[in-house]
Amino acid sequence: MKLPHRLARLLAAAAFAVAPTVASAASTLGYIYVGPEKDYGYNTSMDLGRQFVEKTLAGTKTLHVENIPETAEVEKVMERMIRSGANIVFATSYGYLDYAIALGKKYPKVAFLHAGGLKLGDNVGTYWANSDDAMYLAGMTAGAVSKSGKLGFIAAFPIPQVVRSINAFTLGAQATNPKATTTVIWTGGWLQPAKEAEATNSLVDAGVDVIGEQVDSPMTIAQTAEKRGIYMVGKDVDVSKLAPKAVLTGASWNWGPTMVKLVREIEAGTWKPSHVRGDLKDGTVVLDPFGAVVPEAVRKSVLARKGDILADRFVVWSGPIAGQDGKEVLPAGTPMPMEQLESMQFFVKGVIGTVK
Amino acid sequence: MTTVAALAATPLRAAFVRAAAAIGVFAALASLFFVSIGQPPATMFVEIARAAAGSGYAVGESLVRATPIMLCALATLVPARLGLVSVGADGQLYAGAIVGTGALLAWPLAPGPVLLSAVLVGGAIGGALWALGPALLRAFVPVHETISTLMLNWVAAMLVTWLVHGAWRNPASQGWPASIEFPDTARLPVLGDSRVHAGLALALVLAVVLHAVLTRTRSGLVLDVLRDNPRLQAVTGCAVAPRIVATMLVGGAFAGLAGIVETSVVQGRLQSDLANGAGLAGFLVAWLAGNRVPQTVALALLVGAVLAAGDGLQIATAVPSSATLVVQGLMFVALLAVGGASARWRGVGHGRG
Amino acid sequence: MAAADALLTGLPVSTLRGATPLLFVLLGECLTQRAGRINLGVEGQMLVGAAAGYGVTALSGSPALGLAAGAAAGALLSTVFAVLTVAVDADPFASGLAVWMLGFGVSAFAGTALVGLRIDGWMPWAGGITPTIALALALVPVCGFGLLHTRTGLRWRAVGESPEHARAAGVTPWHYIVAGVLVGGVLSGLGGAALSVDYTRTWAEGMTAGRGLVAVGLVIVARWNPWLALPAALLFGLAEALSLRLQAADSAVSAHLLHTLPYLASLGVFAITCARLRRRPGGGAPAALGALLAR
Repeated sequence: MKLPHRLARLLAAAAFAVAPTVASAASTLGYIYVGPEKDYGYNTSMDLGRQFVEKTLAGTKTLHVENIPETAEVEKVMERMIRSGANIVFATSYGYLDYAIALGKKYPKVAFLHAGGLKLGDNVGTYWANSDDAMYLAGMTAGAVSKSGKLGFIAAFPIPQVVRSINAFTLGAQATNPKATTTVIWTGGWLQPAKEAEATNSLVDAGVDVIGEQVDSPMTIAQTAEKRGIYMVGKDVDVSKLAPKAVLTGASWNWGPTMVKLVREIEAGTWKPSHVRGDLKDGTVVLDPFGAVVPEAVRKSVLARKGDILADRFVVWSGPIAGQDGKEVLPAGTPMPMEQLESMQFFVKGVIGTVK
Repeated sequence: MTTVAALAATPLRAAFVRAAAAIGVFAALASLFFVSIGQPPATMFVEIARAAAGSGYAVGESLVRATPIMLCALATLVPARLGLVSVGADGQLYAGAIVGTGALLAWPLAPGPVLLSAVLVGGAIGGALWALGPALLRAFVPVHETISTLMLNWVAAMLVTWLVHGAWRNPASQGWPASIEFPDTARLPVLGDSRVHAGLALALVLAVVLHAVLTRTRSGLVLDVLRDNPRLQAVTGCAVAPRIVATMLVGGAFAGLAGIVETSVVQGRLQSDLANGAGLAGFLVAWLAGNRVPQTVALALLVGAVLAAGDGLQIATAVPSSATLVVQGLMFVALLAVGGASARWRGVGHGRG
Repeated sequence: MAAADALLTGLPVSTLRGATPLLFVLLGECLTQRAGRINLGVEGQMLVGAAAGYGVTALSGSPALGLAAGAAAGALLSTVFAVLTVAVDADPFASGLAVWMLGFGVSAFAGTALVGLRIDGWMPWAGGITPTIALALALVPVCGFGLLHTRTGLRWRAVGESPEHARAAGVTPWHYIVAGVLVGGVLSGLGGAALSVDYTRTWAEGMTAGRGLVAVGLVIVARWNPWLALPAALLFGLAEALSLRLQAADSAVSAHLLHTLPYLASLGVFAITCARLRRRPGGGAPAALGALLAR
């Protein structure tokens, strides 16, 4: 029985050696991702934000955990992060909100920052950005480049953040081609490369020649579009490197500056939980560079509209907007309130598909 | 060789030797992996142990994770006693979650104890119902239960997704696909401020009862006889068909209970992805344990702890989640290798090679 | 008319494309099970095949080399299953799941560097057929004839039916079982590489999304017969293509329900054929798969 004793002492010594040092003044940030950190998509965009924070704010320590589903599992992970010293938690996926609020009550001294949603806690705020402007501009490009006027959109699930993208894309396309329609295919999963490839093929076979998407990563749809000789519009990260001929443009994220600003506010004690929203104007959302195939005239008109948006001369979510059945959902001249925008559950006219 | 034989003379010692050997093989394999990815093995082992059982919180999370795995393992085990290979625990779990949630939606204002019982019984019935189709198909057509239970897993998961996106979506959830929340009266009690809940006690009690039925009663023992020699049914008058249906239904009820307990207590609402791999983990546990109840319970606790420790390892050492998966895989390889080898020494292997 | 067009244009090749990775895995698992082992680890073997295939294609520029690397990686991982279930006679179901976990973890770990790499796969021939599809189709008669009409195939099946009788007849069972597991490893690795290199031109962790497990189930639908692996894989491929195309054709049915189509169609067709063949006990299952009730 000598051996177990020595083993135990050895283990105890090792445990002591790796015990976390007392937290210094600088913050420890915990990041939780719903998919793989290196997915060349949504989660990568969030992780680039984390890396930006680490680089910009010297002394800041970050913890990160990937592949955590939007279930109570995240409550466990957040708690473990807090117990490992995290005083700021970035819950980077839309479905973590209720769990962040629940845990916020248990740990009042920890700040929780959640990606999107419209609920707050005493120490739980949200951050998000309106990528609809960029999706609208990408849709304009798509509508102008498309010869058939038939556009497609491949997405995982009909949640509000996806539904808005599809609508913004369609409204943009109709600005350059009033007859443009968008056919929607749901893949039923964020990371389903085989279904994404086959959905792309199905749309091409149905006569679609430009495809938008909102799945975990645009890479499969971009490569398949290139293989089939059609065009696509990306989201979350710029994939033009993977499919230089197919990618027209896209709407990418740049989360770093927003995250740095929030962390600074929390450290300075000036932060109050709120719904922080970035957009094209403040640079949280980026319209990707145009692909070679986009004609000069199209670029000009899209960039002119971008100028209008930046100068507040044009608002995407402003009436009149008609629903799928042609009935008006937003009267002329009215801007859409954030509550309606962030819980959107209808398609605009010209979208073919169902949100159910 | 003689030392091993001598040591193996008493069952307790044999178990001790096996456990030590498994730990040794695992340590060797995992150390190789850690060194190859540039991580110090000692630190990694300490962090795994800490994340799995290093504090009250860690133990609690391990137990929370183990609970549905244990129930799903029992769900696999019951039909397996008759020689049936059901892979359907995941689907039955989701079906239980659906019917249990349906009970809540049907009688949201029922008094607490009535509501709680309706929700739990609904869960068990839902799981059993999901197993009924494969059971009848197996008993009377016969359609292989493995394929039917397997395919129905995806169907049940998508039914949940369909419901929470449509008819059962909480109107107050701002478009997020989930049902309304379970009121406290429809939830099993929770231990202190941990997430450990009475579902664990329920699973343990059911395991004890199940063990007694399987090893002490005629209806339990007859399963072993029929599994080993189905031709005996003609001689003994024990028909296989009703027992196929019975074992599948009981198994389904266990998994359905796992589903409703996870939904009501842990998630607090019905939503997609709530199984979190419990069905397959349970299947692994049951077969690793040779479909015996005590071993199944013990292994479910171990597997729950190891799976729950995954995020802790990522937080402490910044390895990707894939590295924790490799470690978990190596642990099972070690357990299987040692378990198989010792059975072979004792001459009680599967005898199919 | 537009709806019918959206549904039917290109449907045959779409079916073939979707069926191809499955067909490789299905043929391999069929041969494995005929030698007396059920290997649930094919999911992990597909994943290492997909990662290795993608990596080698990216490095070498040759999709053919990529497929070969995928096959090798699948075979390598299957040796773990062979050692566990033959050398130490561990439980095959649990061993398969352990191999699955290992394969998922190893491929995701090593594959991180491959995410976002660009590869140039094969351009499809006329009609959308690629060399991968052709290879999968060509393997059906090879496996079918080899298993059912050669001396080696006869011994192979004899081992699967009864290792004891095979041994009595002068055959060394474990040679065939290991061969069966390794062939399954090669073909599941090929299936994974077909998925990453040809079908999707993508590497993403966990990208098989349950296809390996589906293949293990479809072996039963194919009644352990390589010839029937083709219709079984095509049926699944067709149902999956339809679940997406019905959406493009503006079907009123919820997409969530359409996604159940491949699983329900496979089960439905299988149940009907079972009912019609009920006089034939066993349905072609190798007796030595053990654990299964004799029928």
